Amino acid sequence: MSKERVLIANRGEIAIRIMQACKDLGLDYVVVYTKEDESSLHVRLAQERGGFKRAYRISNYKDPNEIFSVADQAKCTAIHPGYGFFSENFGFARRATMRTRPLTFIGPRWEVIRDLGSKINTKRLAKKLKVPVIPGSDELIYNEMEAEEVAEELFFLQKEQGVQHPSVLVKASAGGGGMGIEEVSRLDVFRMVYRKIQNYAKRQFGDEGVLIEQCLRDYQHLEVQLLCSSHDEVVHFGTRNCTIQSSGRQKRLEVAPGFDPAVCEYPFDAEGVLDQIVRYSVRMARHVGYDSIGTWEWIVCRDGSPYLMEVNTRIQVENEISARISRIKGGTEPTNLIKEQIKVAFGDRLGFTQKDVSFEGTSIELRIVAEDTNRGFAPWCGTITRFDYPEEPWARLYSHVPRDIPYKIPTEYDPNLALAIIWGQDSEQAKERARQFQKGTVIEGKGAKGEDIITNLDYLYDRINDILQF
Amino acid sequence: MGINLNDLLRHYRSHIFEDYQVETPHTGVISYKVQDGQTVEGPSGEWLQRPGTLLYIIEREKNVKKMYTSWNGQVTGIRPDLEGHFVEAGEVVLSIRHRLDKNEIIDRILTQVLNILRAPQQARYFLSSDISAKLGKHPECRIAIEPGDEIVIMSLMKRDTAISYKEASGVLYKVYFRSGDIVEQGSPLLGICPSDRLQYVQEVVQRIRTDWENM
Repeated sequence: MSKERVLIANRGEIAIRIMQACKDLGLDYVVVYTKEDESSLHVRLAQERGGFKRAYRISNYKDPNEIFSVADQAKCTAIHPGYGFFSENFGFARRATMRTRPLTFIGPRWEVIRDLGSKINTKRLAKKLKVPVIPGSDELIYNEMEAEEVAEELFFLQKEQGVQHPSVLVKASAGGGGMGIEEVSRLDVFRMVYRKIQNYAKRQFGDEGVLIEQCLRDYQHLEVQLLCSSHDEVVHFGTRNCTIQSSGRQKRLEVAPGFDPAVCEYPFDAEGVLDQIVRYSVRMARHVGYDSIGTWEWIVCRDGSPYLMEVNTRIQVENEISARISRIKGGTEPTNLIKEQIKVAFGDRLGFTQKDVSFEGTSIELRIVAEDTNRGFAPWCGTITRFDYPEEPWARLYSHVPRDIPYKIPTEYDPNLALAIIWGQDSEQAKERARQFQKGTVIEGKGAKGEDIITNLDYLYDRINDILQF
Repeated sequence: MGINLNDLLRHYRSHIFEDYQVETPHTGVISYKVQDGQTVEGPSGEWLQRPGTLLYIIEREKNVKKMYTSWNGQVTGIRPDLEGHFVEAGEVVLSIRHRLDKNEIIDRILTQVLNILRAPQQARYFLSSDISAKLGKHPECRIAIEPGDEIVIMSLMKRDTAISYKEASGVLYKVYFRSGDIVEQGSPLLGICPSDRLQYVQEVVQRIRTDWENM
């Protein structure tokens, strides 16, 4: 494995985590960056590592020719797509593995991404395997009259069910991470929103396909973390709860495990629901021959009914909280899921089974973002001049923001600054430590007009109490 | 609203050259097709359908891309060390020393006469779908703009924000960006001529045309 050289086709904190995983595994790596990201820490860390040219400037993270051209120039043998960008693009994965100079794609086989990377395909497969899904269209809609008919039917069904404020969601099929989703509560404005999402999807993802779903309310957003290999091994790393999100459906606080009946009361058998969504997720993974890391996303309603939302065929931003609470074969160190993902991509066996995985404590992720939570989570642009946080054995912080020089937040990307991963022996201790960490974190900076930086730190503090609560 | 046209024209007379740096649009192996000091021609034809002089070719993933100049002028700053080598995206490979023409002078002066919508943030900008569709059919048409019309979409940090026109009714006179471009904060996006100023603007344009020749 030591002769492998991985091209990290991503940016920011995930690029740094992948670099570290490669280093730990004794692999070479190369990073790419755009002009806007020149001062990102992922570039500097790669350049400082030296040995050979490790950082290449490209025009765009979303241009496959750029990625492959650098992969060849830098003599890479594998590509890690991280999350976003090409991580769920089956065409990219297929091209990587089938080109004249093939590369190992660190992710599932392209056929698996094709079958599960699209919300529509996932929905069809789930229905076939009798896995519950959210009511709505099960094919892509490109025609606004057809879309309106589906929406009308969903409004009618909700009225029949006695739903007080019926509404539907218009979703860009190619979207992910909460982007390109809008709620419509009146049929007379449906077409306008449909057109808006369609145009947005075309601009951002190059595919204007849209799907329409019933908007469920009063639910928790859960996830099941799986790790699978090409040797038919399927292991889960428990569940996460990602219910606390911005108004734009962007996750902000996540916690593992997904429910904790020891500290919260649930109007249903919480352990039973967690078992159920794990079983459903494993059933689908086995059916498609899933062979990498992946996340099954679920909605759990107040009556305890679970509905599959989508499958993310990639490493997830919040994977670390599952890693933090899990141990393999009773080891003392937390699992590193990125390392496991890389190992299985190179054909390794897992080397353990489900019974070797144990869980310990609770872990919380705080997503620190430059945004104004009082103004609809509007992104903040400007320059960070100070970024300090407490060094604690129970906390880890991942960030691409350099701490020794001013850092201008690029306007081309989300203003995510850092991920703080907190661990506690139990949920109460994890929450207390998360508060302590937040209090000790200082971020200073100025906007273009000299105004002070705005971050979501206070919002995160206020919401810590809400985690795990239905 | 009044401008000192003579002063402005004198200013542009004494600052008649602009230097444009030519950067590689993406990675690839570069091969120059011009030399330092060579005169190059920008695109021509009624719809600028004839490309300008070929500056260099760049080969990436077995695809050869020909890069033509967008400006008339003289080539400077060629980098012989790059010839035949892999270059990264955004590498400055040469410059063009360009002499401003009459229409460019008019565009610059009109920024002081029209209602200019400027970029509120450095971001990617798109024309609204209505305006884009109308200009797509008739690029030279004068589109009526009313206060409250959504005229531009600002795409910042992956979020789209519609920007509405807030000044007096008028016609869209000039688009200063290409849809999808990243525009610096404060740079002009659109020039809108209020209905009551249309005649004045046309007089300014006419005066520049005559005075520029006679100065």
